[in-house]
Amino acid sequence: MVVLAKEVPDLEAMVKVTADGGALEVEKRRGLNFFDEIAVEAALKLEQSAGASVLAVSAGAGTGIEALRRALAMGSDAALLVDDPALEHADSLTVARALAAAARREGFDLVLAGKQATDDEAGLVGPMVAELLGVPCVTNIIGLQVEGDIARVTRETEAGRETLSVALPAVLTVEKGLAEPRVPAVMGVMKAMKAQIPRVTLAELGAEAQPPLTLAGYATAPARPPAKMLEGEPATVAVELARLLKEEAKVL
Amino acid sequence: MDFRLSEEQEFFRQTVADTVDRLIMPKVEEIDRTDEFPWELWKEFTSLGYLGLRYPEEYGGMDADPVTCMLFYEEMSRASVGFAQSVTMNMLMGTYFVYRFGNDAIKERCFLPAIRGEKIATMCFTEDQSGSDIGATRTQAKKVDGGWVINGTKNWITNGPLADCATVLATSDPSLGAKGLNFFLVEKGTPGFSPGQVLHKLGCRGTVTGELVFEDVFVPDENLLGEEVGKGTNYLTEILNEVRCMTAAMAIGIARTAVADGLDYARKRMAFGKAIGEYQLIREKFARIVTELEASRLLMLSAAWKIGEGMNPRNEAMMAKYHAVEMCLECVDEVTRVYGANGFAEEYGPQRYFRDARFLLYGGGTHEVLKNALGKAVMSGHWR
Repeated sequence: MVVLAKEVPDLEAMVKVTADGGALEVEKRRGLNFFDEIAVEAALKLEQSAGASVLAVSAGAGTGIEALRRALAMGSDAALLVDDPALEHADSLTVARALAAAARREGFDLVLAGKQATDDEAGLVGPMVAELLGVPCVTNIIGLQVEGDIARVTRETEAGRETLSVALPAVLTVEKGLAEPRVPAVMGVMKAMKAQIPRVTLAELGAEAQPPLTLAGYATAPARPPAKMLEGEPATVAVELARLLKEEAKVL
Repeated sequence: MDFRLSEEQEFFRQTVADTVDRLIMPKVEEIDRTDEFPWELWKEFTSLGYLGLRYPEEYGGMDADPVTCMLFYEEMSRASVGFAQSVTMNMLMGTYFVYRFGNDAIKERCFLPAIRGEKIATMCFTEDQSGSDIGATRTQAKKVDGGWVINGTKNWITNGPLADCATVLATSDPSLGAKGLNFFLVEKGTPGFSPGQVLHKLGCRGTVTGELVFEDVFVPDENLLGEEVGKGTNYLTEILNEVRCMTAAMAIGIARTAVADGLDYARKRMAFGKAIGEYQLIREKFARIVTELEASRLLMLSAAWKIGEGMNPRNEAMMAKYHAVEMCLECVDEVTRVYGANGFAEEYGPQRYFRDARFLLYGGGTHEVLKNALGKAVMSGHWR
């Protein structure tokens, strides 16, 4: 199994747009993407029942080691970093090409990934990797069972729950609720601390480095107008709220 | 000279911080409110294997260097100092002499289960009339055929009333003072060994602290934890620097949480039309306490690094403990002021940090005793 593991800034890290709008200044607190951590946990659970091994793969320009160490600490068998300067600010397709090339080289029956990353929230890499590998893809799964070379997956839709059977190999992206990520035990932490994580470049993988998208700039979101607090008896407040929603906000 | 943590140490620190945030932080207020030993949390946390952190890998430990251990103690104390004290008692003071001098059977019976969290370990120093002055220890061990008979009462013993294995400081010859001391292993169930009164403390709640009573307790010869009779004080110096650095790390942990809470409050709390953090007098507080915090951390890490290098940073470890705990008291005091009257309310954290911090004054030597020793060292040319 291959798990795609993105390194992202900590959810509480301070983020600021630079004065020229060309980049983000992000506090240097980084870790494994929340949804990828769920993917690692799901892979480890399958590993226990199916006897497969788990390889965590990340892609970045000098970043990704922290995320991979976390995946190792949780119990992944091995890790691989696609480390290339061309991955600095790379778009989703470039990252997907790198990860797909790594997965192809290492071999897989199943690729698991978070449904999206908590930094750019694009949610593109998983399905793109599936397309590049030429295998089926199911997104946002909350249930997973593997029987032979078929995966039975559950996903939540607006209408209810949908259960699908997917022929392996496949790419599955995971939603919150699929598994509760474990807290790493010391043995895993030790292994992760000592691990020499191998690195490969895009050229070594034969992956294309030319991004079709370039970053034009960042802008700070405009500050929200201050909230209006209504005070008084519930009945009066409700009438006033209904009036405001209808006349001012025009949402009713 | 390189002041950076290694990539591995940084990863370790982050992993511990994350573990603490997930497992301990949500239970901190409940532990403080109920003042009960959190058995469920104990089992969950100790099953991760951290109690063996400083011991060799052959025992299931991590063989971690002292700096790495300090990162652990600091992160633990960010959450609950009470729980951190229960944990560190099993990790260091309660197990060290059992590991160092216990025979294979003793290690199998006490050391290994203790670092797996299956048994509770403690070390007993303090008595009603002696604490920092260990030479005044009255608990006595008399040599008899095949072993020793121990009599006395210990007080202020962390984990004491729950302890399965106690490393007990006792004199074999009261006339020799600090040169007549020894460590003995006493196990739960040994006739004459019983828990006494449990203390109700101002802070560090949830760790059970209290008396241990020894009435004609017979232990066999192999329970003398030491190669020679009367060398207890010498053996103690093997971990005293580490214990003092650990207390410093705990103080830094509390101070970090206090500062983080204080900053958050100062950014949000409005007064006279702006956040109070915009006022110079509030900013001055943070400038000062954060400077002191960083100074404490440098002192503590440098002393811990020296321990790891096989040096004996006796003075630096005393300075680290003294500086960090005073810094912590100052820090939580200033943060309660930032909170205004809310700093006095049980609904907010600062009152707990204020209570917890004070308990760190005593362990590893009171500051009066430490300053006396430091002053003596400086006067006699042993500084640097």
